[in-house]
Amino acid sequence: MDRREFLTLWARWLLAAGTAALASSLAGCARLLRWSESQTRTGSFGGAETTTTLVVTGPENTSPSQTTPPPSGPASSEPVPTTTSTMDTVHPTYPDLAVIRGEAPDRNVRAALAALGGMERFVEPGANVVVKPNVLTGRLPEYAVTTNPLVVATIVTMCLEAGADRVTVLDYPTSSPRAAFKESGIAQAVAQAGGTVKYLTNRNFERVEIPGGVAIDSWPLVTDVLEADTFINVPIGKTHGLAGLTLAMKNLMGIMGDPRGRIHTDYPVKITDVNTRVVQHLVVLDAYRVLVRNGPTGGNLRDVAMPKTVVAGTSPVAVDAYGCTIMGWQPDQLPSLVEAERRGLGTLDLAKYTIFEGTA
Amino acid sequence: MPDDRQMEERQRASGHGGMEEQTTSARRSPRRPTRRRGLHRYRRVFQTFFLLAFFTLLTLTFWPLGSVFLGGFLLADPLLALTSLANGVLKWELLLAIPVLLSPLFLGRAFCGYVCPTGFLIELFGPRKERQAGPRVRTILRKIPLFGLVVVLFLLVFGSAVYLVFDPLSLLTRSATTLLYPAVDRALRLVGDIAYLAPPLRGTVDTVTETLTGRLLFPNGLAYRLQLVIFAMFVAILAISWIERRLWCRHLCPLGALLGLVGRKAIYGRVVDQSLCRSCEACTDVCPMDAIRDAGAATDCSRCQIGLECADTCPHGAIRWGRRPRKQHVHDPSRRALLKAGGVAFVGSLFLFTGLGRIQRDVFLIRPPGSRNELDFMATCARCAQCMKVCPTNVIQPAVLDAGWEGFFTPQMDYRRGYCDWTCNECGKVCPTQAIRSLSLAEKRRKVIGRAYIDHNTCIPWSEGRDCLVCQELCPVPEKAIILVSAGQGEGQGQGRGSGRAGLRLPRVVAERCIGCGVCQFSCPVPNEAAIRVRALEQTGFLSK
Repeated sequence: MDRREFLTLWARWLLAAGTAALASSLAGCARLLRWSESQTRTGSFGGAETTTTLVVTGPENTSPSQTTPPPSGPASSEPVPTTTSTMDTVHPTYPDLAVIRGEAPDRNVRAALAALGGMERFVEPGANVVVKPNVLTGRLPEYAVTTNPLVVATIVTMCLEAGADRVTVLDYPTSSPRAAFKESGIAQAVAQAGGTVKYLTNRNFERVEIPGGVAIDSWPLVTDVLEADTFINVPIGKTHGLAGLTLAMKNLMGIMGDPRGRIHTDYPVKITDVNTRVVQHLVVLDAYRVLVRNGPTGGNLRDVAMPKTVVAGTSPVAVDAYGCTIMGWQPDQLPSLVEAERRGLGTLDLAKYTIFEGTA
Repeated sequence: MPDDRQMEERQRASGHGGMEEQTTSARRSPRRPTRRRGLHRYRRVFQTFFLLAFFTLLTLTFWPLGSVFLGGFLLADPLLALTSLANGVLKWELLLAIPVLLSPLFLGRAFCGYVCPTGFLIELFGPRKERQAGPRVRTILRKIPLFGLVVVLFLLVFGSAVYLVFDPLSLLTRSATTLLYPAVDRALRLVGDIAYLAPPLRGTVDTVTETLTGRLLFPNGLAYRLQLVIFAMFVAILAISWIERRLWCRHLCPLGALLGLVGRKAIYGRVVDQSLCRSCEACTDVCPMDAIRDAGAATDCSRCQIGLECADTCPHGAIRWGRRPRKQHVHDPSRRALLKAGGVAFVGSLFLFTGLGRIQRDVFLIRPPGSRNELDFMATCARCAQCMKVCPTNVIQPAVLDAGWEGFFTPQMDYRRGYCDWTCNECGKVCPTQAIRSLSLAEKRRKVIGRAYIDHNTCIPWSEGRDCLVCQELCPVPEKAIILVSAGQGEGQGQGRGSGRAGLRLPRVVAERCIGCGVCQFSCPVPNEAAIRVRALEQTGFLSK
């Protein structure tokens, strides 16, 4: 062949080789990134090393039962179930639960957080916070189907006041997400408070192992929640055909990927499984309005009651155990709570909890 | 009056007699065009503007912006307006079509040449130079417009709007909705997924996702049936331009035929100054619509779109837009041909209306809320896919054969794909012919479009004895249309408390409360075919209302 053919041949081979090299290096980079993401973040969360002690007032103030410090870190592969412990004398005493009644939801939330040690206890400066309200579907706030937007907004504001770097509010509604967030008022409330609403797509879910799982051993969960420095669960109290009531434990269904309808079979066991996997640093139950009939999608103002209460705590089991009493239930009537207790996630005996009750 | 001196000069120059200078149109290239003043020079600008306007409006057709004016082009479409009118749909928006319908009296088919976005795409993707099919094909093709109009008339009278499948604006809306926007959504999601691999970019990706969700980006993606058919049809319409330039516009387009019919009585149009015309036929080559007859002197006003490329090309400046003389040089089909066309159309229509598809209804054919009864629906639906575009859950899909051949491309609900969102009433708002009537949100929430039925053989509680109740959980009507029955016990609302493990609860549909929105069917965890499915209630028959 002549010089030209020779050069053309070389050029073609080089082009092919170069393309292959480029493609494989891109694939390599992608893999590298994936690998780096899968590494859990180290670094302690802390937040319990303060010297002030909180004076606990209220009818439940009896023996100095103390709580363990909040679960450490976003390294959520090792969740620490919250149990009561009398051994801990180093850390200050925070109540397990703060229950505040009042006319203004935002003041209720502030008072509840203050009783728990302030948002600073849960949010470090520069933290990445994820807030998970209940945005099941598009309903106006008066229908008590979605978390009160004022409650969500107050939490967002308080996180930013505590120095959070960013506050992301997310949920996985069962109807058109934009409509659901808009109708519930949460989109606007979050925007005004300075947070960001995140609409979830497939890329936000990743299948994670659930080591403590009895009925499920893995499930796709929202990665933002697992990677957040602080995860705040903000449910609303509603009745539920299958579960009896939907409170904090059930609210985690909003961070579960499809096919989440399958959770309904063996529901109490499966929901407990998920609750063992996901660390909830703070749980704020919105019981300002609750849905007492035709839940969880409601749609009738007659089905709404107004206890005007907020229940805050660090354990979803504790919050649910107390929260169901607001709606007239006993904790042992909820199969999911019974299962949670059986698995050691918390006790259903309200007498064992330090409960701060107040008004705002 | 011929200019003798010019003739003499030419004869002297060429050395031939004047007659031999006449050349055939096909080979000769036009002389350097003399640019003239006039709006026609901006024809491409107009076309670009209207194409962009069309796509802007279509892109903005999403919840909650739904408005009939987002289908502005469809509203101004006289073919759609006539369909609406013929079916008793009277709304003042129909008036928008009047200027378009009457414009050919003054502007010929300027709509086709300056406004129609489909026409623009056909020109863009078509040949630059004139192409002609063989003479026999041309003769046949030339007969089609009038024939087609007769068919349209019969269909209109007998109550079928199936010809609107071929309306150019409906066609473009449908093609873009089912092909372009799903591709855009997929591309955006792909870019987002790739960008997401780099943690520093995630904030930006999230912000962009937040802005575009529900508008250009859909968490569940966008998917439609019949994409291949719609694509093939669209491509075919563009491709036939390579047989004859703008073949679709010249011969096949029903809207073009309608406008052409009006254009035959044009008051203003292409005017040739006979004293200047040398019959050189330079103009005939450049006409995109092949509207020039008689060696340049006459115009087929049912085709002329006042593009005036001919005027720009004419070396003698003989052509302009002006008041046409009384005597029209127009190609008139013979009365006999018209009668023949009418006969064929009539017989053809009869076949259409005796098909079984018209009276038998598929049990799972659910129309969007606000839809008219099936017969009226067939007569008014423009098959334009505006409803599919605006629907936030992608539940509205083109029917394949569920509504018979006639129902091809008409909208139906596919509850495997989506569900009818409680907060939305957009489809009726954007339907240009009101085949789907615009309902207020309160009305739409009461509108029964179907009823859910539970298959006890596949429903998990009924067949496996295990809990489920996803359907009951998500039913949006305030008085729940799905209640819980305790196994082995009496009925109740099912909100009762057991202690510890409650007994098995079974779902049951309360028929009177169900509106057929399909959330239950969509969410049912039974794979592939839900255990609870919405069935249609209406029965059709020739005389049913």
